[in-house]
Amino acid sequence: MKLSATYAFQDPGETLFAALVDPAILQKCIDGCEKMEKTGEDSYNAHLKIGVAGIKGSYVGKVRVDEKKPPESFTLHVEGKGGPGWVKGKAKIQILPKGEGSELLCESEGQVGGLIAQVGSRLVEAVGKKMQDEFFRKLGQQLRNTSVPGK
Amino acid sequence: MYLTEELAAKGKVARGYVGRAMKRVEDPRLIKGIASYVDDLKIPGMLYAQFVRSPHAHAEIKSILTDGAKVLPGLVGIFTGADLNDKLGTIPCASPISGGRSPQHTVLAGKRVYFVGHPVAVVVAETRAIARDAVDLVDVDYEPLPAVMDPEKALQEDSALTHPELGTNVAFIWKLPAGDVDAAFKEADKVFKLRTVQPRVTPMAIEPRGCVASWHAGESSLTLWTSTQVPHLVRTLLPDLIRIPENKLRIVTPEVGGGFGSKLNLYAEEVVISHLAMRLERPVKWIEGRRENAATTIHGRDQVAESEIAIRNDGTVLAIRSKIIADVGSYCQLLTPAIPTLTGLMLCGCYKLKAVLAEVTGVHTNKMSTDAYRGAGRPEATYMIERIMDLVAGELGMDQVQVRLKNMPQPTEFPFNTATGLTYDSGNYQAALAKAQDLAEWPKLLQERETARKEGRLFGIGLSTYVEICALGPSKIMAAGGWEWGCVRIEISGKVTVITGATPHGQGQETSFAQIAADWLGIPMEDIVVLRGDTATAHFGRDTYGSRATALGGTAIVMSIEKIIEKAKKLAAALLNSKPEEIEFENGKFFVKGKLEETIEWGRLASEAYIAKNLPPGLEPGLEASSFFEPSNCTFPFGTHIVAVDVERDTGHVNILKYVAVDDCGKQVNPLLVEGQVQGGITQSLGTALMERTVYDESGQLLTGEFMDYAIPRAPDIPEYILGSTETPSPSNPLGVKGVGEAGTIGATPAIANAVIDALSPLGIRHLDLPFTPERVWRAMKEKEARS
Repeated sequence: MKLSATYAFQDPGETLFAALVDPAILQKCIDGCEKMEKTGEDSYNAHLKIGVAGIKGSYVGKVRVDEKKPPESFTLHVEGKGGPGWVKGKAKIQILPKGEGSELLCESEGQVGGLIAQVGSRLVEAVGKKMQDEFFRKLGQQLRNTSVPGK
Repeated sequence: MYLTEELAAKGKVARGYVGRAMKRVEDPRLIKGIASYVDDLKIPGMLYAQFVRSPHAHAEIKSILTDGAKVLPGLVGIFTGADLNDKLGTIPCASPISGGRSPQHTVLAGKRVYFVGHPVAVVVAETRAIARDAVDLVDVDYEPLPAVMDPEKALQEDSALTHPELGTNVAFIWKLPAGDVDAAFKEADKVFKLRTVQPRVTPMAIEPRGCVASWHAGESSLTLWTSTQVPHLVRTLLPDLIRIPENKLRIVTPEVGGGFGSKLNLYAEEVVISHLAMRLERPVKWIEGRRENAATTIHGRDQVAESEIAIRNDGTVLAIRSKIIADVGSYCQLLTPAIPTLTGLMLCGCYKLKAVLAEVTGVHTNKMSTDAYRGAGRPEATYMIERIMDLVAGELGMDQVQVRLKNMPQPTEFPFNTATGLTYDSGNYQAALAKAQDLAEWPKLLQERETARKEGRLFGIGLSTYVEICALGPSKIMAAGGWEWGCVRIEISGKVTVITGATPHGQGQETSFAQIAADWLGIPMEDIVVLRGDTATAHFGRDTYGSRATALGGTAIVMSIEKIIEKAKKLAAALLNSKPEEIEFENGKFFVKGKLEETIEWGRLASEAYIAKNLPPGLEPGLEASSFFEPSNCTFPFGTHIVAVDVERDTGHVNILKYVAVDDCGKQVNPLLVEGQVQGGITQSLGTALMERTVYDESGQLLTGEFMDYAIPRAPDIPEYILGSTETPSPSNPLGVKGVGEAGTIGATPAIANAVIDALSPLGIRHLDLPFTPERVWRAMKEKEARS
């Protein structure tokens, strides 16, 4: 599964970048994220509840950020496993200034395994796209609602 | 005309039960829903087990944490490979090929997992729901490894390895050099090549697997109820694995909702559940789910063959050289290596080839094992040779019927020895072909094709003239014991109990064996009960697979009845003040030769035999006999299937317009059962031809894990079948029967394939791989259009 999408924000790149590496904000933006805790510099543990094609389940995941080049880009690695199988993905985020705000390019790829592959493989891409769109929509909302350092 | 009408017309009905189309005595209980399957069994104190299965095709197990699951109330235990593997034997392969290399098949994964669905741990709980929840809470940490998925790439030197400790992905190599192949190729006017792909398919029995084990502590014995085709094989193999004596183990097979070869095995789950019942001293049940079934019950087919065919300009097929790569999956299950070798042995089809060179390479991949699936090796062979016949016809501009007739042995040439070393017991291939052509209205069909082509429609006619191998078989060619056992008991009341070791799983032996026994004993069928599926009553047996039950199991019953009649004559002689050699037996009556006015029937004989006050000196009480039947040869049923299709140009959809099958399974005990077997077989094979394919992605994830993604034929996909038969009795058994359980799956796929390719031939399409899904057909058409 490979996705590539761009999202427009009213905020400058610095604000966006800071929000994207803030676990508190991430938790609010990730659909079904019940808990997110920092386990080290740029790494977190996340507890997620996701449903794909009628396969609802809990996943425990590791999130790691690397190739950080504030405020332009970073790479996000996600690995999760749970009753319905496993998910693994990586997203390369690039932030470019655009007018007064910024534009974010997200190129992600993911794999699933176990039951979710067996049952929902045809739907995983659609679900992934929906989750990603939802994430950035919520992020936009968060940025408008909260005062974020750097704003 | 249906078989039933045909038989009635021949006047066979009057003879007795055998040969009559009779409804199955099994059906009322199945239709009413009052039959018992394994999952219907409830035992007080019974626990439920669920397996924790690998979500990776190939990975190292770093750790298994069970603490999270252990806190669930109602959880009884969690067992991993470390807890069980050294206490239990490994899963056997009964047909290893010398020089082959396969890993130890432990009941649960050890340090590594080798396919998606590989059992890693088993959870036991008070309820099924708790067990399922607990499975999700077992935390297994895997380190994924490269998965070997493509059997052809797996043979390249730089390929990753399914089982690194073996140092190769080759599970075995089997060679069949038969006849002088080089000489035959030198003689050839033409040599052409063909690559055939037989996709992996999933058997999808409606009832998944499942078992219940109950330990009887007082007797130190175990009863295992299991949904299997082969309770007797399980009883032979399981004792060593769970470390109990054979005579402390009873296997019961209640109703089985389909097997098709997928339950012709000893599976790890049966071993684990048996062990857990002994260890926990409580009954334990495990019922496989549909998704589990798709991933962890054996798959079928999965062969790629590169063949070279030597022919003469007159249409004679001289020889075939074939390199067959069989994807055996991660482990060799019970008969895994035997299946592609049957393909090699049957490669001649019903033709007089001079020589065959078949080389089968079994390849380990990170997938579920392949093993017997309805037809087991013969559908693959038939598909190859029948595609070859059509290509020969195409190559030489010959008619597809003529090229077949040119290569068939004449009826007078039987028993016919094939190039591959088999002896076909009896046959009249031309008669079946002629009859199928009649039923199909062949000249009219050719006319329709001509008209359709003129109008630009894609209309095709395909046929397959198949032969297969059944009634497996003489012990000398089997892995072990190819006989079958049966027992007949005239009860004190005169009612009759027949016990068969050829355990049915849907074939209807309770009906057909009662028909046989009723005719031989001369009594009403209603007086007979056929017992099956319990090793405590059916002491011996080799069960039902390879279309063997009637030919072998039916004969064992006839042999037993003959023994009883022999004994009954002695008793009748004493009662009629005569000598045994003077006693005649006809229609259930014993009498002194010529003195029909005084007869004795089974009822009186039985009471005399058991009350035992008037027995002649030296005669044992009782009227019971059992027999083992060891056949001299397998049987070789055959037939012709003819199919007419049209292909929709816009969608690639294949419509079956006409389906004719003429099958010769020798003598028929119950034509209705024969018809049912043929209909079911064709339908399954139609799935293989048009829609079914088990798909793993390149990382080894199974994508066809349930009926949403795995297509099987539904009612609207199934055309009306026009069925007929010819009757060439088999000399291999006294009943003259051959077997018909797999005929449909063997004859149908190549006939449909040939029809589809014939329909596409005006576009210049010469061959296409199975299955002919609309997408595949549409793409092939577009590709041709783009090139031209």
